[in-house]
Amino acid sequence: MRKILAITWKDLYTTFTDRNLILIMIVTPLALSTIVGSAFSGFIGGGGNDVPIRDIPLAVVNLDQPVEVNGQSFNYGQTFVDLLIPSNPDDSTSLLQLTDASLFSKADAAQSSVNSGEKSVAIVIPADFTRSLTYSQDNPDIHVSPIEVYSNPSAPVSAGIVRSIVENITNIFLTGNATVEATIEALIARAQADPAFGVQFGLASASGSFQPDFALAFQPDSAPITIEQQTVRGTAQTFNPLVFFGSSQALFFMTFTAIQGANSMLEERRDWTLQRLIASPTPRITILLGKLFGTWVTCIFQVVLLFIFLTLIGSLIAGEPQLIWGSNLLAVLAVIVATSLAMCGIGAVVAALARTPEQVNVVGGIVAIALGLFGGAFFYVQAIPQIAPLSRLTPNYWGTEAFATLAAGQTDIGLNLIVLAGIGAVLFLVGLAIFNRRLSV
Amino acid sequence: MQSQVMVEVRDLAKTFKGKNGDDIQAVKGVQLDIRRGEIYSLLGPNGAGKTTTISMISGLLAPTRGDARIGGHSITREPLQAKQLLGVVPQEIALYPTLSARQNLDFFGKMYGLTGTELSRRVDEIVDFIDLRERQNDRIETFSGGMKRRVNIGVGLLHKPQLIYMDEPTVGIDPQNRRRVLDTVQRLQQEMGMTVLYTSHLMEEVQEISDRIAIIDHGEIIAEGTLGELIQQIGEEDRLTFKVGTQSVPDALLAQFKQEVEGVTSAVYERHDVTNGESETLAQVDGIVTIMAKRGRKALPDLLRIADDAELDVLSVEVREPDLEGVFLHLTGRALRD
Ligand SMILES: Nc1ncnc2c1ncn2[C@@H]1O[C@H](COP(=O)(O)OP(=O)(O)O)[C@@H](O)[C@H]1O
Ligand SMILES: [Mg+2]
Repeated sequence: MRKILAITWKDLYTTFTDRNLILIMIVTPLALSTIVGSAFSGFIGGGGNDVPIRDIPLAVVNLDQPVEVNGQSFNYGQTFVDLLIPSNPDDSTSLLQLTDASLFSKADAAQSSVNSGEKSVAIVIPADFTRSLTYSQDNPDIHVSPIEVYSNPSAPVSAGIVRSIVENITNIFLTGNATVEATIEALIARAQADPAFGVQFGLASASGSFQPDFALAFQPDSAPITIEQQTVRGTAQTFNPLVFFGSSQALFFMTFTAIQGANSMLEERRDWTLQRLIASPTPRITILLGKLFGTWVTCIFQVVLLFIFLTLIGSLIAGEPQLIWGSNLLAVLAVIVATSLAMCGIGAVVAALARTPEQVNVVGGIVAIALGLFGGAFFYVQAIPQIAPLSRLTPNYWGTEAFATLAAGQTDIGLNLIVLAGIGAVLFLVGLAIFNRRLSV
Repeated sequence: MQSQVMVEVRDLAKTFKGKNGDDIQAVKGVQLDIRRGEIYSLLGPNGAGKTTTISMISGLLAPTRGDARIGGHSITREPLQAKQLLGVVPQEIALYPTLSARQNLDFFGKMYGLTGTELSRRVDEIVDFIDLRERQNDRIETFSGGMKRRVNIGVGLLHKPQLIYMDEPTVGIDPQNRRRVLDTVQRLQQEMGMTVLYTSHLMEEVQEISDRIAIIDHGEIIAEGTLGELIQQIGEEDRLTFKVGTQSVPDALLAQFKQEVEGVTSAVYERHDVTNGESETLAQVDGIVTIMAKRGRKALPDLLRIADDAELDVLSVEVREPDLEGVFLHLTGRALRD
């Protein structure tokens, strides 16, 4: 037992004193979730859901043209319209309640409706709105073509609100694209440090399967600002985007940690330190448990640290201390522990089946991105019915869902815990068994 | 009284599965007896099976056949007891590069069951022994090759093992550090009474430090004994080397050396092509004729005359007293160097 802990401690120490690893494990996911999360938070403002003014008469003109990137069509103007005008009359979100918007096809018609006092404010989305927002080789620097806002001088408050909505939505599109950029830069940095990962990443982006997925994050259906949870007491609790983005990013990056942790077994074999351990009077199972346990604890630490930082950021945004993960901290910890176990199990199996550490990096990168994709790290999977069921195969899904539930003040996460611990226990044992067999050659 | 035998290796064999499914017989039924307190060397060229043999003795590889006992404990049936007696110094620098020397020693000490004040006292002693007190808290990755080698050895000594194996501990270090390693090996024997199992492909160092030597080639022990015994096996032959440059040497001439000159037991011709690293053009061809002969100096005039008659221009001549290189050549018909 003492030896297991010594191995665990050694692995924790080496991991948390490695500046590059900390960057990938903590800083990158923190930056990503903060950028995206706070963009959405700006909308909600102070966490309050009191809407003092409702149904601002608004005219919307959309002149925007769609843009094709990597065979996928983008139309942020349309997305904007969808956010303001319900396609389904039963939809009622805070944003839809805020305005009473109707679509005009011509800019001057909208203007005259404002002049006549029929509408208080009109907005005109320019024809090159999407083009100006889209990050591509032709358009490496993003300069937004501004959305014009006309207002009736008699309605200054409404004009101010609409202006801030316009700014916020534009910002989301912008940060969304900035996030794509930042993520890709982070991945490129990793790829440079780790050529095998680079090859894999290169394949993914060349096939065009990588970048477009981010776009879905901006679809109105997936925008978490539309989600409101009713608690039992009937007080409305606003869904905190930091929770959604924070937990899905944390779990995505945790997958890398888990796979890397299991991979360290193969690396230690390559570097002969594993042989040193085996040549010592230490039972094989102790060594294996020490290594896997170390990975597990590393994953738990990573997520706990991330959650603490995200809580601080959430509190800063709200202007007051805020327990963004809900008040049931023990349950949050239980979900973290269970999710980490599941990820470590996946890591153990991936590493146990691979021949070389380089192979683990390639396969592990694919596995982590696949789990992230289907588990909701890049877009809101439930919005796409074709793949929504698949997401249930990922620990990412069960983890983020449990965190969202707890953050909303509810407690029914039993199934999530069982599924996560089950995935974890089974894969952990399978990985252990394969490793044990491989070591006795 | 303790048995005089420290290590007993019986019919040890290892067969690997090759990439294309065929079997690679890396070790083919090795027998060894290593006595308590001696420096025992396994000498053989790269790929001879030294590391594989040592890996089986230390429990890293399961033998395909056979067994090894350390201090009477079978490595396959009582691995933990056997391993407790054994210190290992792998061929690779088996250390954690981002940990300091002291942290490495600390960690591996724990794996050998050392704790508390005993552990820190042992680490202190080792740090002094390998002469790294000043740098003990620096990361391994900042060390020079020689310093890493010293820590690599130090880790193997932590738990005061009765037996220590060192797999090619002088590979890749400068002559000064090599000297230091060889001195260390002798201090282990003399000051600490350890048994040392040493492997190398360099005959000079083996010749210098070993009490007994086993020569291994293609997975088999082809000769074993003290330096004197091994040299006796080849009948005290001298080794003569003729450098012949780019000239080729016909087999007939080699045969003639053997038949016509008294005392000559073997004559082989080898070419060493020396290429320029980058352009891979042939820079120099070094042809060498190696002749084993009893009383080599006496045979020399006759040999040179025959060469002259065959219009072979001998560029330089070297006569060497019997050594391990000669033993290997005698037994295998090949030079020990790659
Ligand atoms: N894991 C392995 N799989 C297949 N072949 C191996 C393996 N390890 C060693 N060998 C082969 O066994 C032979 C002996 O290798 P080794 O014991 O490392 O030699 P040495 O240490 O004397 O240089 C070599 O031909 C090597 O290629
Ligand atoms: Mg070797």
